[in-house]
Amino acid sequence: MGATVTGWLTRLAPLVFVALLAAVWETASRTGLVDPRLLPPLSEVLRVLSGLLQDERFRGDLAITLSEIAVAFAVVGPLGLAVGFFLGENLPAYRMFAPALHLLLSVPKSIFLPVFIFAFGIGFLQKVIFAVTLAFFIVVLSGVAAARSVPVGLVTAARSFGATRVQIYLHIYLPAMEPLIIEGLRMGLIFTVTGVLLAEMYGSPRGIGRVIFAWGEMFRMPELFAGVLLVVTVTIVCNELMRAVEDARKARRRGLR
Amino acid sequence: MAGAGGSGEIIAVEGVGKTYGSGEQALTALIDVSFAVREGQFITLVGPSGCGKSTLLQILAGLVPASTGRVLIDGLQVTGPSPGKVGVMFQDAWLLPWKTAVENVEFPLALRRVAAAERRKRALPLLDLVGLSSFAHRYPDELSGGMRQRVAIARCLVQEPRVLLMDEPFAALDEQTRTRMGSELLQIWETSGGTVVFVTHGLTEAIYLADTVFVMGTRPGRIIARITVPLPRPRTIDMIGSEAFGRLRNEIWHLIAEVRA
Repeated sequence: MGATVTGWLTRLAPLVFVALLAAVWETASRTGLVDPRLLPPLSEVLRVLSGLLQDERFRGDLAITLSEIAVAFAVVGPLGLAVGFFLGENLPAYRMFAPALHLLLSVPKSIFLPVFIFAFGIGFLQKVIFAVTLAFFIVVLSGVAAARSVPVGLVTAARSFGATRVQIYLHIYLPAMEPLIIEGLRMGLIFTVTGVLLAEMYGSPRGIGRVIFAWGEMFRMPELFAGVLLVVTVTIVCNELMRAVEDARKARRRGLR
Repeated sequence: MAGAGGSGEIIAVEGVGKTYGSGEQALTALIDVSFAVREGQFITLVGPSGCGKSTLLQILAGLVPASTGRVLIDGLQVTGPSPGKVGVMFQDAWLLPWKTAVENVEFPLALRRVAAAERRKRALPLLDLVGLSSFAHRYPDELSGGMRQRVAIARCLVQEPRVLLMDEPFAALDEQTRTRMGSELLQIWETSGGTVVFVTHGLTEAIYLADTVFVMGTRPGRIIARITVPLPRPRTIDMIGSEAFGRLRNEIWHLIAEVRA
């Protein structure tokens, strides 16, 4: 009984945190504790947001950003995992590329945005390519970890039952790697969103990132916060959905020892 | 060993050697191993670590190719795993953690596309045989080490193998469980009539289980003695304390110690 109550409290904790944050935001702004010109009250921001969501132009920007994210993620997810799996399974190749991989992972890629603009312009394609570049390395490393997480003994045992190569990949590798694959995709999505928004803010004719950046320049705080709130909410919801899938699968199929 | 394929000979090992690497760094794990096993025999391979006993078993299982020589099982040369003819067990049960006990037992059949109902019908009696009928729907992480190895035994038997190859299957278990598992294995073997090759580094276990003990030495790994165990069947735990058992154990101990020195 006590465990159930604690369980519910743990689950409710994030919601309580959000509610608290909202309350602090609203009162701080209303009472003048924070300058309302810098931080407009939450209720005001929400009103602006609902107006924006009716707006044809804003919805167009939203659609562009979301499709950039979708395309970039659809490319970098499979690509990163495939490369990671290959490296994880192929020791000589891993030895050859691992140092470069870790080096490139630690390089702040946003510094190269001007280069991406020179190379690919400021359109849809450039956003996708930059986001893919940003997310690629983290997904690759997740793929490597996933491939490495498959216990050799399980594979040997399956071979002794006469499993074919395809059967081994399907019945041993895939289920064994699943938790790390989902985790890798989740990280990949976060990096993809960051990549698209960064590229839009740096230079772009359209997109949410561009719009938010412009509002900031023009000191239009209610709109700025409305945009930020929307992006943050969408990202958190996507992330939590993937985590829910991960947890549900884990509970059903148990962890590896 | 000439005349392999003669009456009742199920395993023939002919001049098998295994070398890892090449040139200066070549490591000879096994050299010129030859022996034959008659159908229905229980043999153990015993020796210190590094004597190549596990390698030899993997070669018999077709999981690792021999560098020289060849292995015949039921008259056919081993070139890869022979499911349906040979069942293999390892030191770890290697159960799929995302499958229940009964699903794990069914797994080799699932790979052969046996229908689900048929699989269940064959798996459940085997779980019963190893005393785990009430744990059929538990996951491996809910089972003890001994229980997991029982599931692995059932998973071997479901393939209806003629030969069981066991690579220190009880080595990770505590002594009591190990002895009990050994007795149960003997019971299963006596009723099923299969052939067992059992690798161990435990002298007591090697003698208690076997008709014939093959004693192996190191550097390079090879068979240094072949000892017939004169104890009657069925074996009982009490035999382990007998004088004859003790003498045999001493003899093997000295064989191994001399080669090492």
